[in-house]
Amino acid sequence: MAKYYDIDDIITDEEIVAVIFQKAASGVGIDPSSETDCVEVGSKVELPFWLAHELQQRQAVSMNIPTSFNQNTRLEIQADSACVDLRSQCPYFYEFGCKIAPLVGARNIGPLLLSAFKSRYKEVLTKAHTAAFTAASKNLTILTKEETNLYEAAQSSMAAFKKWRMGGPRFQKASILGRKRKSNE
Amino acid sequence: MAGQSDPQLSLFSAEEVEFIAEDEMVEIVPNLRMDALNFVCGDFGPFFPQLATQVPLWLAVALKKRGKCTIRPPQWMTVEKLTQVLEAERDSQRVFEQLPFHYVEISRLLFDHARDDIPDVYMVRSLIEDIRDVRFHKVETNLESLNERAFALKINNLSAMEVNIVRPFVGRALQAFYKHDSPDLIPDQDRVSDRRPQVANNATRRHLRR
Repeated sequence: MAKYYDIDDIITDEEIVAVIFQKAASGVGIDPSSETDCVEVGSKVELPFWLAHELQQRQAVSMNIPTSFNQNTRLEIQADSACVDLRSQCPYFYEFGCKIAPLVGARNIGPLLLSAFKSRYKEVLTKAHTAAFTAASKNLTILTKEETNLYEAAQSSMAAFKKWRMGGPRFQKASILGRKRKSNE
Repeated sequence: MAGQSDPQLSLFSAEEVEFIAEDEMVEIVPNLRMDALNFVCGDFGPFFPQLATQVPLWLAVALKKRGKCTIRPPQWMTVEKLTQVLEAERDSQRVFEQLPFHYVEISRLLFDHARDDIPDVYMVRSLIEDIRDVRFHKVETNLESLNERAFALKINNLSAMEVNIVRPFVGRALQAFYKHDSPDLIPDQDRVSDRRPQVANNATRRHLRR
């Protein structure tokens, strides 16, 4: 239940999945290009994950593997996972994969996620703690949300440590006390 | 800060770690006579001139600021000892040297307030910086070897400030590895783990020290 209020979880559910309708649905205007309001059996529609999940439980649709996990991406990741731009494809790559895996029935999504994360993790780690801001910006744009979290956690703790080491007064004067009163004309 | 609104981070800020470090005992040489001081944490004194006494670091710094004592640097803070530690750190790839738990904070406080009490203060300072750098690089290289079987991490002889820096990162990384390695996601896991000689369950603890 902790996931109910989690913003990342909610946005993950918004990812688009291609589904095939097993039953005809009338009165729904899902596909804006069709003339009628009905959806035929066997038609392919793009739905957000939360809707597709519910419909699949009622056996009204069957889900395909989303484009982010298709063969092309798989080959890219196996070639060199550190450079794959996952954010433009799907910024919630890992969470989405975890949700999709039991539903679509493809057994190789799990190990794919794991191996991708393992190798990218090494890259994140070496750059996170020590790199200067400008050098790391190229890497930042290709990280998913989860990896960005990791990266920022390390960066902020490192920055706090450096700031502490520089010294400075332990008590900070509140900024409101420093403002001089405007003289009344 | 300790009471942050984001419950996942839950780290101490650097100032808080320093605050905890100030409880360590150091030796001071007072230059005046004073009666015993009674605090909640204990009684210190009475203080006689030129007689060394053990007091907590916060008290020592406070007395030093008022010019009532001189602080004697602790045993580990000499040039010879620190050079030894630095050599040992550079030699081994995985072992961390035995250093006081709060050495970073204690050294910073002493440099700030008791600079004239430490012999060869610049040498000592640069040695401590080098030790800190070498140890941190070691931590990073060892963290790279984290893989999916790691449920917990054990590193010996790491100091408080170093632990505090890596704490959020390591916590999140371990969480992410655990999430991706769950058994329903990887159906072949049972078959793989049966081949290995396991003692209790699937998880093996990753020891970063030989």
